[in-house]
Amino acid sequence: MGFLSSALRIAEKDLKAEFRRAYEILSILVFSVSSILVCSFAWGSTLANRADVAAAALWVILFFASVLAFTTSFTREMDRGTLGGLKTLPCSPSAVLFGKILYAIVLLFLVESVLLVFSSVFLNLRLSERLVEFWLIFFIGMVDLAFAGSFVSGLVMFSEGKTLLLSFLLFPVCMPALIPSVLATEKIVNGSGMVDLIPELRLLFAFLLSITAVAILTFKFVLEE
Amino acid sequence: MTVAVETIKVSKQYGPLWALKSVSLRINQGESVAILGPNGAGKTTIMKILATHVSPSSGAVNIFGKNAFKHGEDIRKRIGYAAHESFLYDELTIEENLSFYGKLFSAGLNSANPIIESLNLTRWYRTQVSQLSHGLRKRADITRALIHSPDLILLDELFEGLDEKTCNLLVDYFRNQQSKTVVISSHSIEWAKKLCARGVFLDRGEIAQDVNFR
Repeated sequence: MGFLSSALRIAEKDLKAEFRRAYEILSILVFSVSSILVCSFAWGSTLANRADVAAAALWVILFFASVLAFTTSFTREMDRGTLGGLKTLPCSPSAVLFGKILYAIVLLFLVESVLLVFSSVFLNLRLSERLVEFWLIFFIGMVDLAFAGSFVSGLVMFSEGKTLLLSFLLFPVCMPALIPSVLATEKIVNGSGMVDLIPELRLLFAFLLSITAVAILTFKFVLEE
Repeated sequence: MTVAVETIKVSKQYGPLWALKSVSLRINQGESVAILGPNGAGKTTIMKILATHVSPSSGAVNIFGKNAFKHGEDIRKRIGYAAHESFLYDELTIEENLSFYGKLFSAGLNSANPIIESLNLTRWYRTQVSQLSHGLRKRADITRALIHSPDLILLDELFEGLDEKTCNLLVDYFRNQQSKTVVISSHSIEWAKKLCARGVFLDRGEIAQDVNFR
């Protein structure tokens, strides 16, 4: 079985298992929606004129929601003893990691969709005006988060206090992706077009390439006890 | 006789602790071998090394004539490994778990049918793994390990926590797998003798005895 089909099977299995424990997805969604509501009530009318605040709030919420999602990635396989099952598979460690990344992308896409709908209502983000730009930045930012988060989740799975360590490590690792995402979102909210987003898009792609290279080169060693 | 498994001076160190010390072992194709010994003897470590889950600190491991760690992906296609803990996903049914592993090993679900029947799992085939007892879960996990019809079967702590009836069922099943190489690890010499022709006794990471049971 090829690299991509192995990764797809792993992602499919993870999603099936995840949707059987719907309470975890629900808790991530409830966290995201309540955070938006809290921001909306706390900042009220000032949000209408503060694109920077809305953009930052959105990404901070997405980042914390993603931390919750990544705790269900490799760390759960480790806790339940099913990691050994993944190691028995006749596929490369990178295929296992890529499967986990695909699973994270689907999960974060779901969270992001809910988040954007609620943000347009409660954070006064006028999504309809710049929908393509919004989705582009959110999609690439989310893919960056999924790559970094899945890799860090694998990195910490053998350590004690892995859940705490995951959040500690994820923040500095994701910083190079979060900053351009926030800046690009702010530009979009202020009415900038696709051309103005090129510097941030370059940074996001550079981060994606770097984390992919690091993951491919090192994940074989990460997967071993 | 073709050599299925060969370990050459294999050692494994975890921090300051030596789990295995210069273990050299040859297992021929079609042979059934029990790795025996007390807790901490290194049974699970050697099983993990043979399954290519853990690489040794020093020494070489050849499986079917190939270096197990250089050709890991190819070798794993020919290995069926059931560890001490189950590799099945609690949220999925036995069928879904077998389907997942089967697809990745390019084996159809049909190939699991004879094993399911032999291990009396037909009734629980569509039951979620979280609802199974320890014995049933173990049997389902063994089915998972055998779904791709591996040439080398590695079974860690095969008889642990199982009742006599289930142990007999497993012994009968594996004694019929004569073309396969079966390596089990166990505390129980009695059950190991029923299943295996050879016993390798480990003590503090070293081979203490290598005896023929037949």
